[in-house]
Amino acid sequence: MVNFLSYTCIVVGLVFWYWGTWPLLGQRSVLYKLHGLSVADTLGSMAIIVGLLLRIPQEWPLLVLALISLAIWNTVLGYVLAYCSTEDRGYDG
Amino acid sequence: MTLVLIAMIGALLIPMIEALRDDDIWQRMLAFASIATKTSVMILVIALLQDDRMMALVGVIILSVGNAALMLLAQIIRRVNDVMEG
Repeated sequence: MVNFLSYTCIVVGLVFWYWGTWPLLGQRSVLYKLHGLSVADTLGSMAIIVGLLLRIPQEWPLLVLALISLAIWNTVLGYVLAYCSTEDRGYDG
Repeated sequence: MTLVLIAMIGALLIPMIEALRDDDIWQRMLAFASIATKTSVMILVIALLQDDRMMALVGVIILSVGNAALMLLAQIIRRVNDVMEG
Protein backbone atom coordinates (compact mmCIF):
# COMPACT_ATOMS: atom_id res chain seq x y z
CA MET A 1 0.00 0.00 0.00
CA VAL A 2 2.79 2.43 0.96
CA ASN A 3 4.61 1.48 -2.23
CA PHE A 4 1.50 2.29 -4.26
CA LEU A 5 1.10 5.65 -2.47
CA SER A 6 4.76 6.42 -3.06
CA TYR A 7 4.51 5.72 -6.77
CA THR A 8 1.29 7.79 -6.97
CA CYS A 9 3.01 10.80 -5.42
CA ILE A 10 6.00 10.45 -7.75
CA VAL A 11 3.80 10.14 -10.83
CA VAL A 12 1.72 13.16 -9.75
CA GLY A 13 4.98 15.07 -9.37
CA LEU A 14 6.07 14.07 -12.85
CA VAL A 15 2.71 15.14 -14.29
CA PHE A 16 3.17 18.48 -12.60
CA TRP A 17 6.68 18.77 -14.09
CA TYR A 18 5.48 18.13 -17.62
CA TRP A 19 2.42 20.37 -17.19
CA GLY A 20 4.56 23.30 -16.07
CA THR A 21 7.45 22.77 -18.46
CA TRP A 22 5.51 22.17 -21.67
CA PRO A 23 4.45 25.85 -22.17
CA LEU A 24 8.16 26.81 -22.16
CA LEU A 25 8.34 25.75 -25.81
CA GLY A 26 5.48 28.10 -26.77
CA GLN A 27 5.65 31.80 -27.67
CA ARG A 28 3.95 33.20 -24.56
CA SER A 29 5.35 35.99 -22.38
CA VAL A 30 8.06 35.47 -19.75
CA LEU A 31 5.67 36.08 -16.85
CA TYR A 32 3.09 33.62 -18.18
CA LYS A 33 5.69 30.89 -18.50
CA LEU A 34 7.27 31.81 -15.17
CA HIS A 35 4.00 31.42 -13.31
CA GLY A 36 3.26 27.96 -14.67
CA LEU A 37 6.87 26.90 -14.29
CA SER A 38 7.43 28.01 -10.71
CA VAL A 39 4.14 26.51 -9.53
CA ALA A 40 4.66 23.24 -11.34
CA ASP A 41 8.36 22.85 -10.52
CA THR A 42 7.81 23.58 -6.84
CA LEU A 43 4.71 21.43 -6.35
CA GLY A 44 5.94 18.70 -8.65
CA SER A 45 9.28 18.43 -6.91
CA MET A 46 7.59 18.47 -3.51
CA ALA A 47 5.25 15.65 -4.57
CA ILE A 48 8.25 13.61 -5.76
CA ILE A 49 10.05 14.19 -2.47
CA VAL A 50 6.95 13.20 -0.48
CA GLY A 51 6.85 10.05 -2.60
CA LEU A 52 10.47 9.40 -1.62
CA LEU A 53 9.63 10.10 2.03
CA LEU A 54 6.97 7.38 1.95
CA ARG A 55 9.43 4.97 0.35
CA ILE A 56 12.47 5.73 2.55
CA PRO A 57 11.17 7.06 5.91
CA GLN A 58 14.51 6.78 7.72
CA GLU A 59 15.93 9.59 5.57
CA TRP A 60 13.30 12.02 6.80
CA PRO A 61 15.70 14.75 8.04
CA LEU A 62 17.28 15.13 4.61
CA LEU A 63 13.96 15.04 2.78
CA VAL A 64 12.30 17.54 5.11
CA LEU A 65 15.31 19.83 4.53
CA ALA A 66 14.83 19.42 0.78
CA LEU A 67 11.09 20.20 1.10
CA ILE A 68 11.77 23.37 3.09
CA SER A 69 14.52 24.61 0.79
CA LEU A 70 12.35 23.87 -2.25
CA ALA A 71 9.40 25.74 -0.82
CA ILE A 72 11.51 28.78 0.06
CA TRP A 73 14.09 28.99 -2.68
CA ASN A 74 11.93 28.12 -5.65
CA THR A 75 9.26 30.59 -4.65
CA VAL A 76 11.74 33.40 -4.04
CA LEU A 77 13.54 32.61 -7.31
CA GLY A 78 10.26 32.93 -9.16
CA TYR A 79 9.67 36.32 -7.52
CA VAL A 80 13.18 37.58 -8.28
CA LEU A 81 12.96 36.48 -11.92
CA ALA A 82 9.59 38.20 -12.28
CA TYR A 83 10.88 41.37 -10.63
CA CYS A 84 14.05 41.50 -12.71
CA SER A 85 12.45 40.70 -16.05
CA THR A 86 9.73 43.36 -15.90
CA GLU A 87 10.70 46.54 -17.79
CA ASP A 88 9.07 49.40 -15.86
CA ARG A 89 11.00 49.26 -12.60
CA GLY A 90 12.40 52.13 -10.63
CA TYR A 91 16.16 51.93 -10.17
CA ASP A 92 16.56 51.69 -6.38
CA GLY A 93 20.38 51.84 -6.56
CA MET B 1 11.84 3.36 -10.76
CA THR B 2 13.85 3.24 -13.97
CA LEU B 3 10.79 4.37 -15.90
CA VAL B 4 10.38 7.26 -13.44
CA LEU B 5 13.99 8.34 -14.04
CA ILE B 6 13.57 8.12 -17.82
CA ALA B 7 10.45 10.29 -17.53
CA MET B 8 12.41 12.76 -15.41
CA ILE B 9 15.17 12.94 -18.02
CA GLY B 10 12.47 13.57 -20.61
CA ALA B 11 11.09 16.42 -18.53
CA LEU B 12 14.63 17.80 -18.27
CA LEU B 13 15.08 17.88 -22.04
CA ILE B 14 12.22 20.35 -22.59
CA PRO B 15 13.89 23.34 -20.87
CA MET B 16 17.17 22.41 -22.53
CA ILE B 17 15.53 22.66 -25.95
CA GLU B 18 14.01 25.98 -24.92
CA ALA B 19 17.38 27.31 -23.72
CA LEU B 20 19.03 26.34 -27.02
CA ARG B 21 16.27 27.74 -29.17
CA ASP B 22 15.35 31.07 -27.61
CA ASP B 23 17.54 34.18 -27.78
CA ASP B 24 15.74 36.27 -25.14
CA ILE B 25 17.85 36.27 -21.97
CA TRP B 26 14.85 36.01 -19.65
CA GLN B 27 13.37 33.03 -21.47
CA ARG B 28 16.75 31.37 -21.08
CA MET B 29 16.88 32.24 -17.39
CA LEU B 30 13.50 30.52 -16.99
CA ALA B 31 14.85 27.43 -18.70
CA PHE B 32 17.98 27.40 -16.55
CA ALA B 33 15.93 27.81 -13.36
CA SER B 34 13.84 24.83 -14.37
CA ILE B 35 16.92 22.78 -15.27
CA ALA B 36 18.53 23.60 -11.91
CA THR B 37 15.52 22.47 -9.89
CA LYS B 38 14.96 19.33 -11.90
CA THR B 39 18.56 18.20 -11.83
CA SER B 40 18.84 18.67 -8.07
CA VAL B 41 15.65 16.69 -7.47
CA MET B 42 16.98 13.97 -9.77
CA ILE B 43 20.25 13.85 -7.81
CA LEU B 44 18.19 13.43 -4.66
CA VAL B 45 16.09 10.61 -6.13
CA ILE B 46 19.06 8.69 -7.54
CA ALA B 47 21.11 9.16 -4.37
CA LEU B 48 18.36 7.84 -2.11
CA LEU B 49 17.69 4.89 -4.39
CA GLN B 50 21.40 4.06 -4.23
CA ASP B 51 21.24 4.58 -0.44
CA ASP B 52 24.03 7.16 -0.69
CA ARG B 53 23.40 9.79 1.98
CA MET B 54 26.26 12.10 1.04
CA MET B 55 25.14 12.42 -2.57
CA ALA B 56 21.60 13.14 -1.38
CA LEU B 57 22.99 15.92 0.80
CA VAL B 58 24.78 17.32 -2.25
CA GLY B 59 21.43 17.33 -4.06
CA VAL B 60 19.82 19.34 -1.30
CA ILE B 61 22.71 21.80 -1.18
CA ILE B 62 22.55 22.28 -4.96
CA LEU B 63 18.83 22.95 -4.58
CA SER B 64 19.52 25.90 -2.30
CA VAL B 65 22.79 27.25 -3.71
CA GLY B 66 21.78 26.76 -7.34
CA ASN B 67 18.66 28.87 -6.97
CA ALA B 68 20.55 31.49 -4.98
CA ALA B 69 23.12 31.80 -7.78
CA LEU B 70 20.35 32.22 -10.35
CA MET B 71 18.86 35.02 -8.27
CA LEU B 72 22.19 36.87 -8.20
CA LEU B 73 22.58 36.35 -11.93
CA ALA B 74 19.12 37.80 -12.53
CA GLN B 75 20.00 40.90 -10.51
CA ILE B 76 23.25 41.34 -12.47
CA ILE B 77 21.44 41.02 -15.81
CA ARG B 78 18.87 43.58 -14.65
CA ARG B 79 21.58 46.09 -13.66
CA VAL B 80 23.50 45.53 -16.90
CA ASN B 81 20.29 46.16 -18.85
CA ASP B 82 19.79 49.38 -16.90
CA VAL B 83 23.32 50.55 -17.69
CA MET B 84 22.98 49.64 -21.37
CA GLU B 85 19.64 51.50 -21.65
CA GLY B 86 20.72 54.45 -19.42
